[in-house]
Amino acid sequence: MKKIFALLSLCLMSYAYAQHSIMIVNNFSTTFDFQGNLSAHNYSGSCYPYVTSSTPTMITVPADSHTSNGKELAYKNFKDQFTGSLYPTTNWTVQTSPTSSTIRAWNHPSIAPGGVISYNVKWASSQFQMYYAGTSIPEPSFGGLIGESPDPCTGAPGYISTSYGDAEWFNITTANITYSYLQVY
Amino acid sequence: MKKFFISAIVAVLTLSSCNNEGSPVNTVESMKTPQMENFDKAFKSLGDPQNRPTEEERKRNTSELSDRRKALLVPASKELILSTGVTEAELTRKTGDDMSQIIVWATQIYMQKSDEIRKNIKSEK
Repeated sequence: MKKIFALLSLCLMSYAYAQHSIMIVNNFSTTFDFQGNLSAHNYSGSCYPYVTSSTPTMITVPADSHTSNGKELAYKNFKDQFTGSLYPTTNWTVQTSPTSSTIRAWNHPSIAPGGVISYNVKWASSQFQMYYAGTSIPEPSFGGLIGESPDPCTGAPGYISTSYGDAEWFNITTANITYSYLQVY
Repeated sequence: MKKFFISAIVAVLTLSSCNNEGSPVNTVESMKTPQMENFDKAFKSLGDPQNRPTEEERKRNTSELSDRRKALLVPASKELILSTGVTEAELTRKTGDDMSQIIVWATQIYMQKSDEIRKNIKSEK
């Protein structure tokens, strides 16, 4: 009986871990493709570990790709995004200090869900640039760094307003779950 | 003669591929429940001019979605939760009517349902 309880609570715990933070990018713009990276970092004390998507250099979420048409970017964690999302990231750059940086494949055990790195970081920011849909022509004034705000580790603003469109970062948080949203209108 | 055959094959291929176009294709979009669609719409509505964050909301010292904007997501979230057979009383008891908890719960249901739809589409192919 005890064993069953232990097993059950372990299952519940891993379930909670696996879902404790989720990143969603909704590109509602019909004019621009979104190209950007995604970063997560530690929020308790130092900024490290600091994890950034590095392959592809820029993740492309095409114009008009969002939850309404099932084309949103949704990352549950560094690993499962590769098989479970429409926009797989192959490699992550993991910084454990300002001077130490390692590139890790999506399935490397060190960044697996529930592991030390995964458990200690939260989605934080995106360095992005909007491109005219289907082209490699950027709109220079529609881009930049956006993220959780205020955040001393990134200094990112949470809202970018341009004459071409707006981008915002917001969270919906409960005691042990944070959902982070990057929405482009 | 050879040329004739090749062009005949090309014609048949073209016709049959066009033929397929008419048959209904199941997409995640087309298989969503009305409650899921409304949940989508609610998130999209955050970008409507009147629903964008005000100057004051942007100056707040947090990225947490403001209560005013969370309230825009709550009706669709509740609707989605109730559509799974959960009762109003259960919903109130489990969330304490906390807006974040309602939205997070609905999001979990939403993602689970989307995963199921994706799996169904895959198995049909």
